[in-house]
Amino acid sequence: MRVLVLEDEPVLRESLVRRLREAGYVVDAAADGIEGEYAGGELPIDVAVVDLGLPGKPGLEVIRAWRGAGRSFPILILTARDRWQEKVEALQAGADDYVTKPFQFEEVLARLQALLRRSGGWSQPVLRSGAVELDPRSQQVRVAGRQVELTAFEYRLLEYLMLRAGQVVSKAELTDKLYEQDFERDSNVIEVFVGRLRRKLDPEGRLQPIETLRGRGYRMTRE
Amino acid sequence: MAARSPSLVFRLVLALATVSVLLSGAAAFALDALFREVALAARRDVLDAQVIALIATAELGADGSLVPATIAEARLTTPGSGLYAEIRDATGASAWRSPSSAGSGLRLLAQPAAGQKLYEQVALADGTRILALSLGVSWETGRGRPATFSISAAESLEPYFAETARVRGWLLAGALGLMLALVSGLYGGLKVGLKPLARLEKEIGDVEAGRRDRLGDGWPRELAGVTQNLNALLEGERARLGRYRTTLGNLAHSLKTPIAALKTMLGAGSLDAAAVSPQVERMQSIVEHQLRRAVLAGGGSTLAAMPVRPPLVELAAALGKVYRDKPIHCELDVPTSLSYPIESGDFMELAGNLLDNACKYGGGRVLVQARPEERPQWRRPGLLLSVDDDGPGISATDRLRVLERGVRADESVAGQGIGLAATQELVHAYGGTIEIGDSRLGGATVRVKLPGR
Repeated sequence: MRVLVLEDEPVLRESLVRRLREAGYVVDAAADGIEGEYAGGELPIDVAVVDLGLPGKPGLEVIRAWRGAGRSFPILILTARDRWQEKVEALQAGADDYVTKPFQFEEVLARLQALLRRSGGWSQPVLRSGAVELDPRSQQVRVAGRQVELTAFEYRLLEYLMLRAGQVVSKAELTDKLYEQDFERDSNVIEVFVGRLRRKLDPEGRLQPIETLRGRGYRMTRE
Repeated sequence: MAARSPSLVFRLVLALATVSVLLSGAAAFALDALFREVALAARRDVLDAQVIALIATAELGADGSLVPATIAEARLTTPGSGLYAEIRDATGASAWRSPSSAGSGLRLLAQPAAGQKLYEQVALADGTRILALSLGVSWETGRGRPATFSISAAESLEPYFAETARVRGWLLAGALGLMLALVSGLYGGLKVGLKPLARLEKEIGDVEAGRRDRLGDGWPRELAGVTQNLNALLEGERARLGRYRTTLGNLAHSLKTPIAALKTMLGAGSLDAAAVSPQVERMQSIVEHQLRRAVLAGGGSTLAAMPVRPPLVELAAALGKVYRDKPIHCELDVPTSLSYPIESGDFMELAGNLLDNACKYGGGRVLVQARPEERPQWRRPGLLLSVDDDGPGISATDRLRVLERGVRADESVAGQGIGLAATQELVHAYGGTIEIGDSRLGGATVRVKLPGR
């Protein structure tokens, strides 16, 4: 999952970036509205966190510009002024949810997860694909009721596939969304990780939760 | 300060002075012309009568000349009397002259045909201007052809000129006097009439200087609206100032405790995150709380009535987006025509908190109702707003508690209920009331009553 953070306050921005990375997200960040608008228009991001009081270009205008250009990723706004008028204005401009400053990181994370889940078409908090259950809130994975321990990267891989359940996800998309820009990209690595994930989820090979479509990518079924 | 515009009194006096100069000038001119016409007509009548009298007494002499047999008019016999008469024959030669014309240098030029009347104005030898009437008469001579004579009477115009000059003087003096009277009357009238404006200026100055805190009573009808609104504005500003003072005082006082705690820790050298964090949290919640209070616009008679439905529609749509996980069904029972004088941000805040709570704690069904409230003493109706949800409701003991919270900053706790406490502050700022009850949807209902005026 790739997150864009637009926040001008350096301490807050760096803390958000660090903690989002710790939570397994690929993070892009910008400190002003103009740079941020460009990043949101060009990078393959899944969700954006936007501070409304940005230098260069106000957050509200950045959101309007993205929506005007047809960018449909969910947007979470951060605002220090928690008047309803501003919240309503931002939601009307195209934002999807808001968090008022000062905030707990956990709240931002929970709302981001909810936005990602909803944008993947899931209305329930727990994602299900066949026998596989994934709860983004606790980051726990169960297969047929049995808890499965995954590494951070494996979890992120599964989460992405499950959020996009029913769709074919290419290896290139997975590299885009699961690696920071500068990392070396090698589709073999993805194949290796998918192989490991399959063994952990389905040691006996009876469930086959991740389908491989030759030359196109992977797909999980949407229950 | 920009260049001063001429005073109202000056403008009005100037305008009226111009009009009165034009009007009284025109009136004086017309009266003068009329008087001269009348006076001249009177002179002509005198000359007519004299000529008729001459004809009546005229007799044809043996030598064929025409002379009056008797002269009844004494002025014609007195030299220098100012009334003259002459009879001339067809050649224009003088046949007879009145004794009064002796030495006057009377010389008339008009040669009227028989039956014709000619007036002429000539000067005598001494410069006296006279008006003369010459009437042509055809006289039977008894020797065949009738002879034509010109019978004239003339009178000095000097008394006439003296009279018209005197009248003109009177008229001019009258017009000037009238103008002065009008202008000074207007000036005085305006001074008296505009006195309340001067009083208003003085009282506003007094308010500004702090010598009085509101404008007095007993204003003329035209100013009463302005002074009432000014007083309402002053009261609103004073209330706002009071709120700011209280807020600042609360803020300063409530921040003292955590600051003192932090200082103590600094002194003791025990500044670890676990100890600092609760103090910072506390300071944060204090700041949040006071910020929320500070932005309240509060009521005031200067607010324009705002349509109530559009912000509710916007809020319902926005909240539907935020609470997408539970399908929110928000029913608005609000007349489109309903409006109430409230600052739009305040109303959004009030309704936003109520709707947000209903969405957050309810099962998804929300009913928003708004109605005007009429009372005989209100010219403008109050507003009744209620928000119902189908959640678990608020128990009778909790109802007071959720409203009490946030009354003082250092007692406020973030989380559930803070929205209601903030709403209550807002409602109180508008002089309204808020109450919590059971909804027929199964959950809580929050009813807000805002007063009319």
